[in-house]
Amino acid sequence: MKILVLVSQTQDTEAKIQVSSSGDSIDTGGMKWIMNPYDEFAVEEAIQTKEKHGGEVVIISVGPDRVLETIRQALAMGADSAVQIKGDSFAETDSFTVGKVIGGEIKKLGDFDIVFTGMKIIDEESGQVGVQVAEELGIPHVSLVSKVIQVDPAGKKAVCQKEIDGGHVTVEVPLPCLITCPDAMNEPRYASLPGIMKAKKKPLTVVNAEDLNLEELGLSAQALGKEGARVKTTQIKVPEIERKLTIIKGSDEPMVKGEEVERSAEELIKLLREEAKVI
Amino acid sequence: MSNEVWVVADLKIDGSVRKVTFEALSEAGNKVAGKLGGKLCGVLIGSGVSGHAAELGKYGAEKVYVVDNDLLKDFNTEGYTIALSELIKKHEPAVVIGGNTVFGQDYFPRVAARVGAGVTMDAISIDISEQNTLKIERFSHSSKAIPTQVFHQNYPMMTTVRPNSFKAVENPKDPEIVEGGVEINPADIKTKVIELQTKESDRPELTEAERVISGGRGLGSEENFKYIYQLADILGAAAGATRAAVDAGYCPYDMQVGQTGKAVSPNLYIAIAISGSVQHFAGMGSSKVIVAINKDPDAPIFQKCDYGIVGDLFDVLPPFTEKVRSLIAEG
Repeated sequence: MKILVLVSQTQDTEAKIQVSSSGDSIDTGGMKWIMNPYDEFAVEEAIQTKEKHGGEVVIISVGPDRVLETIRQALAMGADSAVQIKGDSFAETDSFTVGKVIGGEIKKLGDFDIVFTGMKIIDEESGQVGVQVAEELGIPHVSLVSKVIQVDPAGKKAVCQKEIDGGHVTVEVPLPCLITCPDAMNEPRYASLPGIMKAKKKPLTVVNAEDLNLEELGLSAQALGKEGARVKTTQIKVPEIERKLTIIKGSDEPMVKGEEVERSAEELIKLLREEAKVI
Repeated sequence: MSNEVWVVADLKIDGSVRKVTFEALSEAGNKVAGKLGGKLCGVLIGSGVSGHAAELGKYGAEKVYVVDNDLLKDFNTEGYTIALSELIKKHEPAVVIGGNTVFGQDYFPRVAARVGAGVTMDAISIDISEQNTLKIERFSHSSKAIPTQVFHQNYPMMTTVRPNSFKAVENPKDPEIVEGGVEINPADIKTKVIELQTKESDRPELTEAERVISGGRGLGSEENFKYIYQLADILGAAAGATRAAVDAGYCPYDMQVGQTGKAVSPNLYIAIAISGSVQHFAGMGSSKVIVAINKDPDAPIFQKCDYGIVGDLFDVLPPFTEKVRSLIAEG
């Protein structure tokens, strides 16, 4: 089987977020870049599929040279080769264009069976590109797959469980298809030391953004970057919700004990009823 | 191109119209249609859905496009994508709004790619820019940032909106029904639903509930989650959980609130034995009132909530629940 994984590098959102002086982007100076956590599930699922059915796993990642670290991590986990679509302007390019560019490169890789990718990227949190790559490739997608129940390369189909609001569905999808991965579908493995050593020698193809044939993809010459974007970020603010911070504590120690318990429950209800007016 | 503003109805598994549809029509759609001088329209896609047109009219739809087809029974991405894309190509609306539900997240980006539209997801505010294009705000970076995003003059402009972020206000209209006239070829629907499992629950859905009661790992067991369910049922609330509680097997994944679960925005969020990680706050930080009950006085949640009790949930919750019960019973 040929299994592809779309992997993104993302800012670690555990960090404090600061808006840059221009006011329309996040200050990334000093921020840590990591593999998008959802894409870790995608890489793991791809490797498990390969372990079961044989074949190869190809990583595809878009961005400047810093993404090589993320690509190497995926290779160290067990992927076989990688394609970097290299450019500085992808972060500001609209998802429609990124989807077309990735789709265009995938078409050059020849036949494949499954594409895995994370359900969204944790910094932008938009969750569009994966699905839009599927559209560009003209293949079906199944989003938010909580479990890949069966992959049948001979019968050219996969059976997946997908979460929906109020239940879940089991769907059968023909291959090739694209699957987006939420949390909890598997336990992503750590890269082993031998894996890290091997990763350095695995094949990496670099495609430069300047060499892309945008016209062939049906895109305008300005499609890459902010100017040609269908949607632009004009301003970013950091949400500041003032919280009341009314905390009821015990008198002797922080925890309420004994009689204080009843009183604290009464006090909280009173606050919710009279001050917050929510019950 | 017309200057119509469309709101695509988001349907539950039982076929009823989800509340986010009315929210999108009244506050979001109405404002945008007013500023663009366009007609506010509803869109119904599904099987046996025509009857819902009047409901959309109740919230301001002057016109309702209907694609009613047996092939659209049970939500399927391919069928919905064809239906909405073809409708858009035929009638050329200026704006298309949907709910940021599991369904909306699944097919809105795909439709946008098919019709060449720009699309934003999970808007929490919506307006028209100086360039007369759509302008939205949303959360990013684990809800630690709110970017404003402005559309370029490229039509249609598509967005999904976060449930519980806009008000549903009745504004009765008698909508004109327009048969969509979209043909769907069965061969184009390649993905088949082979089993549909719905969960019977009288509790509201997490994303649209006015009140949410959530439990963390400190609950200690699946059995103890009954404390969460009891309080939730008394308050007519939805029940949620942290990732740690889900991972520990205390409750199913569909209850998970947070970055890797559902994003909720209720009036009241009660967090029981939840420390308040960045990831959890990414899913509930925009709740209007946050209440915490936790025995650890140093838990980060006490720095980010409105009201709290430092106490053991097993001490505090039973009397709290009882008192709420009698209060609600008194009316």
